[in-house]
Amino acid sequence: MSNDLSVLHEDYVSRAREMLRHMKQGDEAETARLLDEIVHLREDSLFRELGRLTRDFHDSLNNFRLDSRLADIAQNEIPDARDRLSYVISMTEQAANRTLNAIEDSLPACEALESRVSQLREQWACFTRREMDAPAFRNLSRDLEAFLGEAGDDLQRLRANLQDVLMAQGFQDLTGQIIRRVITLVEELERNLVELVRISGQKLAQPAKEARQVSAADVHGPAIPGLDTGTVSGQDEVDDLLSSLGF
Amino acid sequence: MDKNIKILIVDDFSTMRRIIKNLLRDLGYNNTSEADDGLTALPMLQTGNFDLLITDWNMPGMQGIDLLRTVRADPRLATLPVMMVTAEQKREQIIEAAKAGVNGYIVKPFTAQTLKDKLEKIFERVAAR
Repeated sequence: MSNDLSVLHEDYVSRAREMLRHMKQGDEAETARLLDEIVHLREDSLFRELGRLTRDFHDSLNNFRLDSRLADIAQNEIPDARDRLSYVISMTEQAANRTLNAIEDSLPACEALESRVSQLREQWACFTRREMDAPAFRNLSRDLEAFLGEAGDDLQRLRANLQDVLMAQGFQDLTGQIIRRVITLVEELERNLVELVRISGQKLAQPAKEARQVSAADVHGPAIPGLDTGTVSGQDEVDDLLSSLGF
Repeated sequence: MDKNIKILIVDDFSTMRRIIKNLLRDLGYNNTSEADDGLTALPMLQTGNFDLLITDWNMPGMQGIDLLRTVRADPRLATLPVMMVTAEQKREQIIEAAKAGVNGYIVKPFTAQTLKDKLEKIFERVAAR
């Protein structure tokens, strides 16, 4: 490169000297011609430089395309990741529903059991206070027997429901594994995009953690503690904020 | 079957370890320990006198299949019954586990009944030795 420069300098200097000579002699035509030559020299070297830069960029891009997984990621892995994340949504939904079903079946059973127990306790208290006659006691006796049978069944049912809830939690392991894989993919995608931006010559701005651009359609969804700023944490803070605004 | 047998549960997801622990408890097995990886499980197995190993496949430090192979290669652990409980369902993997000497293979998601059945099967075979 420095050789080029010194050769160029020679070309410029020799023509400049000649041009100066012709200017002093008042030879306008020759002066103009030499000026043109100097300008053309300049243009040529600019074009050569531009050509070199274009070729370099083209080569970089080609190498990037050949090495890069970007095409594969775009065509195969992103759609695959989309499907897997959709699957995560459906798995978690299923688990939540299974749990809610178990709860909806259990709570009424619990409540019925509780009220039965309450009734029987009252009656038993009557008996221990000797306020119960023989026929009433016979009724109580029958009721107790029936109750013991029912309670046994109800408790078995509650246990089965709790086991159902236990098994329903198995989603966390599977969805966790799926999400981990998608995170890895996103990381790879990020690396590829950063490389692409670098090649195209753009400087990447420092990631500004505070000033995230919020687009008009940006709804944030569940707040993640430590990640989302400008959020309240918990119902109490919501209530405080609202009451401070006069609601 | 002696319900006091010592069981080691290995999985990198603590939720899964808890689920298996609770299922075992339900079946009467209360003597359980946990490890979060093949790497942390190995020293426990070598000194702990365990009667059964239940392990996941996919773990970051040492995978379940490698744990299995290491166990089978160790003369003091070679006969330890090993059950895999895993999301890995590829044919080649199941075959690989069988060749490596696994005693039972359960795929996630699984039911409590499946765990019970497979455990019983393992213990029958152990008793028959």
